[in-house]
Parts: sequence; C-alpha cells; structure tokens
Amino acid sequence: MSATHPLTKNGESIAWNFKLLAQNDLGGFGGMGEGMAVQIAKDGRRIIWLAHESAPKNFTGVDVSDPRNPKVIVQTELPQPYMRSNSLEMTGDILAVAYQTQKIGQQPAGLELFDCSVPEKPRSISFFDCSGPHSRGVHQLWFCDGEYVHMAAGAPDFKPSHLLDDQFYRCIDVRNPSKPVEIGRWWMPGTSATDNIQPPPRHPLDKGYRAHNTNCYPQRPDRLYLCYIDGGMFVMDIKDKANPKVISHWTNSPPYTGFMHTAVPLFDRNLMLVTDESTENNGKDWPKLIWVLDMRDETHPVSIATCPLPPVDAYKDRGGRFGAHNIHENVPLPTAWQSDQIVIGTFFNGGLRAYDIANPYQPKEIATFVPPAPAGSPVGAIQLNDVFVDERQIVYTVDRFSGGLYVLEMDF
Amino acid sequence: MNSPFPSPAAGPFGRRLKRERGAKVPVTVVTGFLGAGKTTLIKRFLASPEGQGTAVVVNEFGAAGIDDALLRASADETVLIGNGCMCCITRSDLQEALRRLVIERDRSEIPDFKRIVIETSGLADPSPILQTFATDRALGDTFHVDVVLTVVDAATGLDTLRRSAEARKQAILADRLVVTKTDIAGAADALSARLRALNASAEIVTAASGTLDPSRFTEPAALQRNAFVAEAEHSDGIGSFVLTDDKPMPWTAFAKAMDTLIALRGPDLLRVKGFLNIEDCKGPVLVQFVQHLAPPPVELEKWPDGDRTNRVVFITRGIEEKQVRELLNAVRAIL
Repeated sequence: MSATHPLTKNGESIAWNFKLLAQNDLGGFGGMGEGMAVQIAKDGRRIIWLAHESAPKNFTGVDVSDPRNPKVIVQTELPQPYMRSNSLEMTGDILAVAYQTQKIGQQPAGLELFDCSVPEKPRSISFFDCSGPHSRGVHQLWFCDGEYVHMAAGAPDFKPSHLLDDQFYRCIDVRNPSKPVEIGRWWMPGTSATDNIQPPPRHPLDKGYRAHNTNCYPQRPDRLYLCYIDGGMFVMDIKDKANPKVISHWTNSPPYTGFMHTAVPLFDRNLMLVTDESTENNGKDWPKLIWVLDMRDETHPVSIATCPLPPVDAYKDRGGRFGAHNIHENVPLPTAWQSDQIVIGTFFNGGLRAYDIANPYQPKEIATFVPPAPAGSPVGAIQLNDVFVDERQIVYTVDRFSGGLYVLEMDF
Repeated sequence: MNSPFPSPAAGPFGRRLKRERGAKVPVTVVTGFLGAGKTTLIKRFLASPEGQGTAVVVNEFGAAGIDDALLRASADETVLIGNGCMCCITRSDLQEALRRLVIERDRSEIPDFKRIVIETSGLADPSPILQTFATDRALGDTFHVDVVLTVVDAATGLDTLRRSAEARKQAILADRLVVTKTDIAGAADALSARLRALNASAEIVTAASGTLDPSRFTEPAALQRNAFVAEAEHSDGIGSFVLTDDKPMPWTAFAKAMDTLIALRGPDLLRVKGFLNIEDCKGPVLVQFVQHLAPPPVELEKWPDGDRTNRVVFITRGIEEKQVRELLNAVRAIL
C-alpha cells in the first residue's frame, strides 16, 4: 500500500503491524461464516477448512502450506439454498459441520461429520438430525477432543417459549463417529415451553435467547463456557455431561444490546475474554465490544476492561457492520496458536485488530488490518467475520460477503 | 509486576517482544546543521521503495519542499507540562503533530503510514526531542525512536563542529552519522576522525550526491557497536562509555543505582541505553534513559547474538565509567 494512494469514500485502508501475505476470493464464493480449522494432512500439507456464510457453498478446503500462495483444493455444495454451514471444527481428519436453515421446520438441519483423510474428497460419515417443527438446526459447534461435539442447536423434541429461542446447548458423543448420540443438554431457564417459570424479557433488538458459542477446553474438561445471545455468558459445570449446572452468569445487557457471542477463558491468568457480535448496519447497535473479565472467582465474574476501538463516527457510515464479533479462541489443538497476552479479533468494517493484554486493565491496540472493500461487496466495505491463528503465528481472516480468505503475518 | 493475573508466558516486564520497539511506531530522527543535506536525503529516501508509507514531520516550518508525502509542520514552541519541572520542557507541537497523525490514521482519514521521519531544525539540540519520546506521559507509549541520524557536510563539517556546541551535541547523540557531499569535498578523513572522537559508538556512513542506502534510515542502531572503546572524552565535558558486566544483574540493584544517579546527576545523563541480563528473565531487558526520563523497560524474546553480557552505553556530562560501576557495586553489596 503506497502512502500516496487516493482517499476513498470508505476511508483509507490500514495495515499496521499486520503484513498481508495473500488474499483468495475462493473462486468467487468469498462470503465466509465463522468456522475455521486447520488440518495437517497425512501427506504433510496444511489445509484450512472454512465454513461459508450462506448457500450455495458448504465448506472450502484451502492448502495454506505456503501462506503466500493459498490454493483452493475442494469446495462443497449445500443441498438446499436455504441452508447455511456457518460453523465447523476439525479434530484429526474428522470435520464436523453445522447446518442451519433459514426457517424453522426446514430440512436438512443438523450436524454432519466428514472424513477428510483425503482432503480433496471429504467423505460423509454420519448426519445427526436436529430439524424439527420449532428448530432451525445447528448454528455453532465446538469439536476439539475427538469425542464430543458441543453445539448450539435446536432439536426435534424442543419447543421454545419464544420462536427465536430455538437453539440451546447440546452435547453429542461422537466417539463412534458413525453414530452420534446426544448425552446432555441445557437451556436457559424460561426458554422452553415446558418450563414453569416466566420466559426472560425480550431485548429491544430481540435476537433471541439462544446459545451461541459452546467452548470447552482440556485445562478444565468439566467446564463449559457458554454464551447465550441475548442471555449473557454462563460458566457451566459439565462434569456430569447429562446434567449441566450453572456455576455463574454474567451479562452486560441491558443496558447493552445483547448478542453475546464467545467466551474464551485464559486459564493461567484467571481471565476471560467475552465478545459481543455487532448485527446491525451503520453502528445502530454500537458499542459491540470485547470484554475482559476477572475470573479469579469463577462464581463471580467481574468485568475489568474492554478492548478499545476507534470512534464509531469514523466507521459507522462506511457500509455494513462495525463492532466486535469473533476472536481467536485458543482452540486446544496443536495447529492453533495459544496466547494469553494478545487478543486478535474481527470487527466487520473495523477490520482485524490485535490487542496486548499484558495489563488486562488496559488493553492496548497493537495491530490493525482494514483492507479496502473487496470486489463484489454488497455493502461497499470490508466485513471481516472470523479469525484463526495457526501455531506458525500465521493469521487467517475471512470476509463475510465476498473477499474470501486473507492470510497475514503478525509484525509486532 | 505483582499483577493479580500473572502469566507463565510473560516475564516480569510483561509480554516479551520480538524487537525493541514492539508494536510502537518507528521513528527516525534526522538532525544536522543547516545546509548539511537533511532534506535531500529524506526526499531520496521517500522516493525509494523502503520509504513508502513514511510520514514526515518537519520541526521547522517551511524548511522542506516535500510534496509527495505526508507533511506536518511543527514549529519550535516550548511549553511546560506536568508539574512544571524544567527538564520536562518539551515540544508540545511535535507531540500534537505526531498524535494527530496516529488519530487520523485510526480514523482512516489519511493514508496508512509505517514510519515517521522527523527532520529537526538545523540548530536544534536533539535532547529535548529524545526526551519527548522517553516518557509515556508524552510520546513514549506510542512511538519509538529507532535511530537518530545526524547529517554532517563533508565540506563544512569540521568547521561547524569546531564552532558550534549544538553541532557537537548532534554528533555525540547520533546512532548513525551520515557524511554528505563527499562527491564535492572529496575524502573526509579528518572529519571522520573528528566524528569518531566525538562519538565512538555510532556507525559512520557516507552519502555521496545525497544518496544513502535506505536501510540506514530504518535499521535500528545496534547496541554497543564499538564496545571496545571503554571511555571517550569528547568535548563540552561530554563523554561516553559502555558499562559491561558478565554476571546476571538483579533488577533492583540496577534500578536503585539508576535512581540514585538520576537523583544526583539526572541532567548529566544525556542518553543511556542498553541490554541487561536480569535474573529470571529469558531475553535481554532493554533499558533507556534520557536525563531523568525513562520509558518502561521491556524484555525481548531472545538475545540478538547469544552473548548475555550486560551492556549499557552511557553518554554523560562529567560522569565517569568508574563512578557508575562503583555506585552499582555499592548498591548490589547493600541489597
């Protein structure tokens, strides 16, 4: 990027302490969701698997052995135009993909497992049906131990107390990947039609009391870090997977506007990162933030800081959303970078940003990547959606609409 | 230190950095007497591929006709900040110019930049500018001076150094000395010898026809390039030496010794910079002082050359290596 390129209506692009190595629009299907996982194939190639934000594509495998020259090796199709495979995870050669439908009652909706031992030819192992008269299927899943899929999903037998509250926490035993079996579930009290308590009050933006991220780490296999979109963050005791129990609950909404997204514990430091997701264009739901929580007492989370963002008026009118969404989640696999010093997150038109949290009371932005609007963007601005950092410290981030995959180096 | 949220991945000075500046904006300070050729060098640098993404701050309004680059004029106004301590007199307009650049970049209102070059007034003593970067209260939390480049004219340099204390100070505080106009003046052996006498540790490079290898603008100055020069008396009572020690250093000992030195002779510590092998640290701990100001020490991920010797360059006025060493030893003995 030259210092003399002309100003655009969307503002200048920024690449501060991130170095762009490559971009790949994934064959013109560059609208990506929030599933990113790295596989080391048997022949040594490094494949990143990416979930698409919407149909017609299901997932794409990209050979990123040379991060400067990513090559699409396979791209799969969804069977229905109303489906989306927003989320995926991979352990070994097994890929777990979440299928969500646009409306309740549509099919297929559920969890599919693939054998990707030959990356060019993903082979379906099994499909776990989550469709139902009140279900949109699976929005998100977590699969890092090869044994259990933790997911935000509806179910054939679940009737929510409100139409929008259809997805809850489900734990699926996939130790026999050809026969996934549910072994536990939990929903926020009041969100099932069978509950004998009042449903929770609706938020002004009303995105639903439904589960989003369901993170579980080997440092505490008896804990689940669960975010409920309009319900806040729950630390769950899942020692008995059949009977998850609430240990603590933290929410910022109201007065904030809900859509709590991801909780990432930093075990050695007794800290936790919690993200909101911006869902409204033009900053209407500002501020959507990354929060830092003091977790020295897991029964009493205390918010101590947020990661600073540039002024909303500098970004809100550029097109699309501006605010927090996904962060690198320290996925507990050898192919994922682990850090409790640096937070890297995506902020839609605010790009990709890295924060030094050595002092967690004062997160400090140390790197920024705001690329120009990718070709074909319907909103006229970048909308970085998700981020994953591999153990080589190569950063992968994806655009929500058309830009596909961006590969970067950290330079700080 | 004493964080309620310690991390095994961090050292006592926080996150270990890959490089001295960490994530801060790198700054090249270009000093040199009037007519030495600073502007020509900067223009050539900006025209090179390495110069792309450079913002230029001119510390003297109207001094340069740099049109194909960012330019912020920054007049030479001095004000009191903080509690009014005279040593904290700083160039508030320089601070404003640099902060505005970062804010405008954050808002994407100006083209992205990767580096800042500050062209100082020919008459300027660089010390106050370095002070501005030496404390988090001013610019030190966002910017890092990678290199102080002092430009000296081969034709008139010797004469200028003879009659101007400011010119001598510019040479003494340089990380890198650039001798210009050798194409006109010919070999400058006498000037080089004089510069070497003034500043034993700086690299001396020549820039015939105003052309300098762009890496000389950007590459951080290597520490203790000429450590074998134990002590050098320059002029105006200013001297330099390198304090070395093979043994790991207790941080408390170094910090207390420097506290004492600053309390007694702060104004005479013109520039102190070095690597310490601090007990319990994996990498070297970078320390810097400009008079009584110091940015927080940082630990690097690894030693650049595997040599874990403590090495700190002192540029002082009237303070000798022996005095500092004895102070440090006395403090260590008491602790």
